[in-house]
Amino acid sequence: MTDVVLDRIGKHYGKDVALDEIDLTFGRGVTGLLGPNGAGKTTLLRIIATALAADTGTVRVLGQDPLTTRGRTAIRRRLGYLPQEAGFPRGFTVFRFIDYFAILKEWDDRDARHDEVRRVVDAVDLTDVATKRIQSLSGGQRRRVLLAQALLGRPGLLVLDEPTNGLDPAQRARLRDLLSTAGETSTLLVSTHQTDDVAALCERVVVLEHGRVLFDGSVSGLIATADGKVWMSGERSSLARNAWRTGSGLWRNVGAPPAGADLVAPTLEDAYLMLVGDRALAEVGSTS
Amino acid sequence: MTSSDVWHADHDDLERFLDGRVGAVFAASLEAHVLACESCRAQLNGMAFEPEVEARWTGVRSRIEDPAPGAVEAFLRRLGLSQEATSLLAAVPSLRAGWLLGVGVSVAFAGLASLLSADLGLTLFLLVAPLAPVAGVAAAFGGDADPSHEIVTTTPFSAGRLLSLRTLAVLASSVPLAVAVGLLLPTPAWVAVAWLGPALAGVTATLALAPVAGLTVSSAVVGVAWTSAVVAADRASDPMALVGTASQLVCVLVIVVASAALLHQRSYDPLGRLS
Repeated sequence: MTDVVLDRIGKHYGKDVALDEIDLTFGRGVTGLLGPNGAGKTTLLRIIATALAADTGTVRVLGQDPLTTRGRTAIRRRLGYLPQEAGFPRGFTVFRFIDYFAILKEWDDRDARHDEVRRVVDAVDLTDVATKRIQSLSGGQRRRVLLAQALLGRPGLLVLDEPTNGLDPAQRARLRDLLSTAGETSTLLVSTHQTDDVAALCERVVVLEHGRVLFDGSVSGLIATADGKVWMSGERSSLARNAWRTGSGLWRNVGAPPAGADLVAPTLEDAYLMLVGDRALAEVGSTS
Repeated sequence: MTSSDVWHADHDDLERFLDGRVGAVFAASLEAHVLACESCRAQLNGMAFEPEVEARWTGVRSRIEDPAPGAVEAFLRRLGLSQEATSLLAAVPSLRAGWLLGVGVSVAFAGLASLLSADLGLTLFLLVAPLAPVAGVAAAFGGDADPSHEIVTTTPFSAGRLLSLRTLAVLASSVPLAVAVGLLLPTPAWVAVAWLGPALAGVTATLALAPVAGLTVSSAVVGVAWTSAVVAADRASDPMALVGTASQLVCVLVIVVASAALLHQRSYDPLGRLS
């Protein structure tokens, strides 16, 4: 079932092109969005989440037109959205913040609403701090608070912009488990800079750059594009498009290998780097 | 074999026993049986304690999860607003104690200035009082006021309902304060309410311009326009002109036009939603 249909979607900010008339459809399961900063991932997710209107093209989400008031409301009733950045009202506790959004999501029965709030707080492993003020929490905990509100009501469409930002490895593993379960019954779109999250979680990956779709297919399909293009060497190869020194002391090279090179199986990160090039490498270096 | 092994207390009898609706002799008999019969004791325990424990636990949990609200919120709840409504109001700054204190201090400052000079006090009062609700409305919506604004925009809650609730709350909180200070000014008593014309014109104009320019810009435009009018009246040494007949007629015109624009924009969206 196709829940999101984007037909020649375009979005500009002044002279900058954020999305360049792209066509995409999304259905049930987990789809990862990869791309360097400014590739258009956040703009794409905001359009799908009805937070932003496209300049051109048509959008259908959950069978509705987001440009009509009725359509927007219908979409929002089945939507869970985690933006890239969001703050918190001053003085709110974890429970109260999520309860606030449960009210905005039309949970009118107080007992049922509070039960649902407890469920999502528990799902993101924050029960122990549910009554604490959000200002006193760590960055990872705050990110999970924001994620919890997106999970209210088990939405049919989950749009998560960099949900693993600020999470430690254990929290990321727990989140993957949570999201993979959600992806069994929902259409789940996840934007991230973490290729290992995509590799572990997503059935499908879409790579964006400069507002265009560079790749759209399975994770294994993206990895396969780097077959025979990754090799190890004692020093940096001049033929490598991207190369870095690994913990073993050997260099991992990505590019056109020389004859007799010690080829290794590519990872999703290798394939991603091959696809988007040096710009992404600089970004990986700055975020790792 | 004891008698407790061969019969068990009837459920209805146990209920009547718990409610104290059985006679003394039957109560004593039932009590003796329950003490000897594990099965009936368990049944009675379940009937007597579980609902009570559950009720107490729910109460404790609610108190912990929904701690005592702040002073303003507690006051609103005493006025009859639901917990849901006050939560929607508490998320933005315009109804926090600090904000109301700021409004109070600003208006009180204008009142105090009148002790030095009646004209200066009146001018300052007429500058501050109408702009307080305009600033309050601006602080009740939009990205600057609401740090979780983007998520709020993607919820199905009616934007119009949220707009009405927060605007009414802003007016209800700032107007009485300014009226009270206005009554203390050494000016005719009608001045204490006459500023409501410019205030309502400012609020409706701000809301009507918001879909086009955004709330921050629209409130700033209204603020600059009103400040310019106050400065001009001050230069003409005629601050009363700001609330005179001609001014009030202009305000009525602004209110009518802005309200019509608000009603006309069926897709009006104070939260910056799609238009």
